[in-house]
Amino acid sequence: MRDPELNNSQLLQAASEGTTLVVPRFASTSYVHVTDGYLSFPSLKDPRHSYHYKTRNSMWVSEVSLLHFSLPNSSQFDIPNNLTTRWRHKFTSVRCSSRSDGQSARTRKSYYELLGVSVDSKPQEIKEAYRKLQKKYHPDVAGQKGHEYSLMLNEAYRVLAREDLRREYDASIGKMTVGFGGIFSGMGYSSWKGPLRPQALFVDENECIGNTFVMDDALGCARVKVQYGDDDKKIEVSVDSCPVNCIHWVDREELAILEFLIQPQPKEGYGVFGGGWERPANVFMAAKAFNKQLKQQADHHQRNASRTVEEETPAQAEARANASMKIKKERLSRIWNWVQEFSGSNKANKE
Amino acid sequence: MSNAGMAEQAYTVASDSETTGEEKISSAFPEIAIGIDIGTSQCSVAVWNGTQVELLKNTRNQKMMRSYVTFKDEIPSGAAIFNMKRLIGRVDTDPVVHASKSLPFLVHTMNIGVRPLIAALVNNVWRATTPEEVLAIFLVELRTMAEEQLKRPIRNVVLTVPVSFNRFQLTRIERACAMAGLHVLRLMPEPTAVALLYAQQQQQTIHENMGSGNEKVALIFNMGAGYCDVAITATAGGIAQIKALSGTTMGGEDILQNLMNHLMPNSESFFFNHGINDIKSIGLLRVAAQDAIHKLSYQTSVQVEVDLGNGLKISKVVSRVEFEELNHDVFEKCRSLIIQCLRDAKVEVEDVSDVILVGGCSHIPMIRNIVKDICKGKEIYAGMNSLEAAVTGAALEGAVASGISDPFGNLDLLTIQATPLSIGIRADGNNVVHIINRNTTIPARKELVFTTAHDNQTEALIVVYEGEGKKVEENHLLGFFKITRIPPLPKGVPEVNVCMDIDASNVLRVLVGVVLPGNKQLLTPFMEVRMPTVDDGHGWCAEAIHRTHGSTLDLVPLWKKVME
Repeated sequence: MRDPELNNSQLLQAASEGTTLVVPRFASTSYVHVTDGYLSFPSLKDPRHSYHYKTRNSMWVSEVSLLHFSLPNSSQFDIPNNLTTRWRHKFTSVRCSSRSDGQSARTRKSYYELLGVSVDSKPQEIKEAYRKLQKKYHPDVAGQKGHEYSLMLNEAYRVLAREDLRREYDASIGKMTVGFGGIFSGMGYSSWKGPLRPQALFVDENECIGNTFVMDDALGCARVKVQYGDDDKKIEVSVDSCPVNCIHWVDREELAILEFLIQPQPKEGYGVFGGGWERPANVFMAAKAFNKQLKQQADHHQRNASRTVEEETPAQAEARANASMKIKKERLSRIWNWVQEFSGSNKANKE
Repeated sequence: MSNAGMAEQAYTVASDSETTGEEKISSAFPEIAIGIDIGTSQCSVAVWNGTQVELLKNTRNQKMMRSYVTFKDEIPSGAAIFNMKRLIGRVDTDPVVHASKSLPFLVHTMNIGVRPLIAALVNNVWRATTPEEVLAIFLVELRTMAEEQLKRPIRNVVLTVPVSFNRFQLTRIERACAMAGLHVLRLMPEPTAVALLYAQQQQQTIHENMGSGNEKVALIFNMGAGYCDVAITATAGGIAQIKALSGTTMGGEDILQNLMNHLMPNSESFFFNHGINDIKSIGLLRVAAQDAIHKLSYQTSVQVEVDLGNGLKISKVVSRVEFEELNHDVFEKCRSLIIQCLRDAKVEVEDVSDVILVGGCSHIPMIRNIVKDICKGKEIYAGMNSLEAAVTGAALEGAVASGISDPFGNLDLLTIQATPLSIGIRADGNNVVHIINRNTTIPARKELVFTTAHDNQTEALIVVYEGEGKKVEENHLLGFFKITRIPPLPKGVPEVNVCMDIDASNVLRVLVGVVLPGNKQLLTPFMEVRMPTVDDGHGWCAEAIHRTHGSTLDLVPLWKKVME
């Protein structure tokens, strides 16, 4: 029947309707659309929204974080219960299975993940990864069942292969992370159950399992699901008793970035289809670098945003209209997903 | 056109007789699809023989067979019908059909948008036929020939087609195949078949040199008798990734007609009578002109001497310069097609590693000059037989798509196709709003949201067009269907989602659903229509719709929602 994650994607859809957030003239990116787990970042300039940037920031961030930080619900674990042995059991069994699920791949992956390349990979690597995957999953090779994968690959490649589109896409990832440094709005992977406080709990997954287990397929890992999920004492016990010292108290502001960065970036070609995954070796160092990058981007946004006060010319208006057409085109099919859902549920009913 | 044996069955027949399901499944060895290149003037058959592609020879030991069907033995007598590839799927208002009236058989038009009448002279009777029928007769011949040589029944084929064929024309090719008892596994644009062969050659070269498998970009120019195609392909690791395609209905036939008109300035009006002697004269003139064109490929002038009968004699010297002037427009069109293709592919000439020229016209010096000129003097790729490349590529694709693998990796290949023509729907009055743009990599799926043009509009018409024009008249109608049960709301409020999906075998499906405002769910059921739906006489449909419904069922693109 339904993918259990669909609630999130519905939320995403709802969120996306209202949050065509605009940061005008920033690398010509102005819109980010989130549709059913897909991000598309066409260029569209709409000065009317220029200054909604800040006011919508929180919503923006939450929308994005839903996409980027939620992992399969089924595989989340509760931090306090019986510590490591139990965790390990959980990740290996549940995580991997939910990862290899095609539908979850469809609704969750960034284009980079889909192609199994890192965010900083060179065009050549992207090309190679795309070809490698197509050779395996193109319908000519894999039959009709390769259709959906092939579509996704084409879309991801279309964006990442073109410098301008990729820049927009990257910028949008950057954009959504701009919020992290600012107002903390509860995004990130873990949720807050209780008042915000300066310290947050974070599991360095590399430390926790990376040295102990080698996961063959996807990301077996531990993480914090709920801040304040248990009383302090219990948590403290967990932190202290972790044999590999992987649970940390961190600054609240850093949490989202850390949780973002600790997510494995797939490597070596086969991304969602089973291959290596890569995390920063030292997530704390990576967070520092990332923060710096975000700050630069945020400055850039501000600088560029201030240029967009001028009136729109008719030509610009037309360009905008065309761009909005493009944006609609570039959204991957919601309707198709619906149909899949319906036909899927029909099938399930029959069975 | 579905993947034989791969696709799940779309439906089941109530009485589950033994005819349902794919017979392929029962066979332990997958059937290898053969490759067929039906050219406007020549055709050929090739098949993967287990180690390489082999071109089949007919009983006269020819690999290239002339694409004509003669309803009587004597040629040229009006009984021989050819150039069917130029006529298939065209209506009688098409200029290409009108240009075919000087052919030595009967082409009648009514200029009303129906299929033209084609007739062969058999025992002093004009016997009507259709391009599909002629092609089918021909395909049966080829099939029989292949079956005899391969000692097995042939069912699956990969056919090469011109880039500029619209989807309606493709269905006609499929129909001709069906009439001949053949199942089309893939219809491959000709230069993409060449691209696949190139990919294989590059892969083999790399194997030999133990190279790194760097990407190579090739420009492929293919000009046969009827059509001219260009493709830009990026090749690495046995994959031919088609970056852009361009093509038009123009080829050796046009060059031939230009020369015929030059040799005999009043020939067109002369031959419109279609008397038996006239036909014979046309035939003789054609042969003489063809011969002259071939000679002009390696000599700078040619003496044409032909006795057309009835006291009509032609004696003329044609120089290559003259010939090139005569065909100036044809050559310029070639140039613009190549430039357009490079631009569409976003490829700079400097990045092109190889320039491949194939097709019957590829030996014309002017064409080679044009290509070289555009490609800044780059030498023409020498590793291919210009007449056999397309059919060889088709046979490779046939083997790959049949699931055959080769222990030496010679079939470790893939063509990633692009769709050569944009597809859209009528919206905003008489405009076509494109949903899938040309040169989109397939499989492709794109969606666009439209809304109603009138208040309380409960029905809308989805009219699907193919082509690049902004206005409906400039595009080719593929089909239409109606969306009903739109809730009565002010105009601009209901969302009509139009989604188009092209699968790897180039099947286009259009899916439409209505979203209720406020409720982000789709109103079920949706409509799913496989295109094209129109049949002969489709030229009328758009007009008839307009006459009957006016703008009452119109849609407009939904800009507003994006802005929110």
